[in-house]
Amino acid sequence: MRALAAFADWPHLLPALFLLPLAGAALLPALLRTRPAVAWASALAVALATTMLAVLALVRLLGDGDYGYAMAGWAPPLGIELRYDRLSAITLLTGALVSLALLFARREMTGAGRRQAVLYCSLVLILLGGMNGFVITADLFNLFVFMELLSLPAYALVAMSPARGAALAALKYLLPGAVSSLLVLFGIGVLHALTGSLNMADVAVRLTPGGPSPATVLALVLISVGLLVKAALFPLHFWLPDAHSAAPGPVSALLSGLVVKMGVVGVVRMFDVFGPALGGAMQAFENLLLILGVLAILTGALAALVQHELKRMLAWSTVANIGYIFVGLGLAGSAAVSGGIAHVFYHGLTKAGLFLAAAALVERTGLHDIDDLRGLGHRMPLAATALSAGLIAVAGVPPTAGFVGKWQIALGALEAGRPELLVVVLGGALLALAYGMRVINALFFRAPVSDQVVTASEAPASMLVPSVLLVALALAGGLSGARVIEFILPFAESLGGR
Amino acid sequence: MLQALFSHIDYVAVTVLFCAGLYIMIARGNLLKKVIGLNIMETAVFAFIVTTGMIDGGDPPLLEQGLGPDFASPLPHALVLTGIVVAVSVTAVALALIVRVKREHGTIEFDELGEPR
Repeated sequence: MRALAAFADWPHLLPALFLLPLAGAALLPALLRTRPAVAWASALAVALATTMLAVLALVRLLGDGDYGYAMAGWAPPLGIELRYDRLSAITLLTGALVSLALLFARREMTGAGRRQAVLYCSLVLILLGGMNGFVITADLFNLFVFMELLSLPAYALVAMSPARGAALAALKYLLPGAVSSLLVLFGIGVLHALTGSLNMADVAVRLTPGGPSPATVLALVLISVGLLVKAALFPLHFWLPDAHSAAPGPVSALLSGLVVKMGVVGVVRMFDVFGPALGGAMQAFENLLLILGVLAILTGALAALVQHELKRMLAWSTVANIGYIFVGLGLAGSAAVSGGIAHVFYHGLTKAGLFLAAAALVERTGLHDIDDLRGLGHRMPLAATALSAGLIAVAGVPPTAGFVGKWQIALGALEAGRPELLVVVLGGALLALAYGMRVINALFFRAPVSDQVVTASEAPASMLVPSVLLVALALAGGLSGARVIEFILPFAESLGGR
Repeated sequence: MLQALFSHIDYVAVTVLFCAGLYIMIARGNLLKKVIGLNIMETAVFAFIVTTGMIDGGDPPLLEQGLGPDFASPLPHALVLTGIVVAVSVTAVALALIVRVKREHGTIEFDELGEPR
């Protein structure tokens, strides 16, 4: 531990968190022609090194508390500041772990040659770099740049699927994504015009004397609508089911597990920027998030229940779970907010594992519908078990991963004197259990109906290992839920200058 | 009210441009036109950010000429330059995707896009 702490004092830890994966991504295609096999190993090494850096940053956080870094030595608020807090720590760790797992699955870029596998690794690393930058930056414009840096590879990754129609799915993802980015930039422009500053803390201070002026509200509306499209909160989720189900398996895992969560992180940052200035008006915003979250839980879970396609069902389940996160944020009590953030972490791990396991089943058989996959549990026991365990975890059966966040959110609802929300939290979980059971029943307890199922064999290790590991991590994480909550609580308590 | 509109004519122009772009994005079925709508929206946002750095009668922010009490802020230009780079990359990806859509579906009209051929 002491040796780790010595490393953790390295001053340039924070910029290295995003520069390392970005540099790795830029250098990978150079290996494409000469040594494609080495390219994959070096991508893994870069992701592993980034994970180590994330752990080091966490060690330092536990020792010293939140800390910042002035880019290129320019002191904030003039220069760009990076800030590492508990929210950054938990999202960084999720991102690094999931990306590491997904790089393993690179061969499952369906029928992809080595060329595509290298490009896949490179794009995943760019995305990882963008996410790392996004969660640690304390500068508004920097936030926008990193948001684009993580969105562009996401569009490209959806289009990487050799299946026909993938380009259209990517385009349907790109157009709302690009508009939402513009809205965020517009809002940032308004904030800069109002305050003359881009540093988040500085903007928050300079906004405060103006109070809840129309221009401030306009900025909040623009930025939050933009970020909520990225986070796919109902009713701005319209692009998600198409994009997430059309993408190749590992890419869906990345999108559902991580990319939508970045919108959530952005919204949480905005609480700090606008909270002091808007004061009471912020309450209206929180209430809106709460209502939309409730609607998202209900529509997401109900839509998931009636889907025929396995991956589309998982995509709708993401819509419902984003709803849970926003119910937590909207309740605004420290218990509920910590529950929402814990759910970001747990849902990220679980959903990534789920999509990988689902991709293994779907791509081994070429069948997409749940009904066609009947009986596959006996031919592909490991992948089917991972999928089932993941589904149970997502439903939030105690003591699995999904339970921690939902329990905290329910506690928060009671704390806020809104017991009627318990019905929604529980109802959503029961619906999730229902659609989970439907899949588990089809996989294990029904006779096969299609030839592809009878002749299927277990998925390759490159796909099994990451999905089983992620689901196992999610299950084990559920057991240590109290520690995760304890870790986030100080952040949740200080959010929005409360 | 009218006075305020005229004194902030740049904001009005930017809002109109933004809404025009958004309208094209939503109402037009042609994918290429949607991308053009996106570009119009981008232009509106960039124009807005550039104009916020302006000060009436202010000096250009050049140190050699000596700065008066009021000078235009150089920062928005740097922001917009970065923004343009980002916008160009997004447009490039979108156009590449449209080419592939055309190849796979035979059309780029949103209404005619059904199952891939």
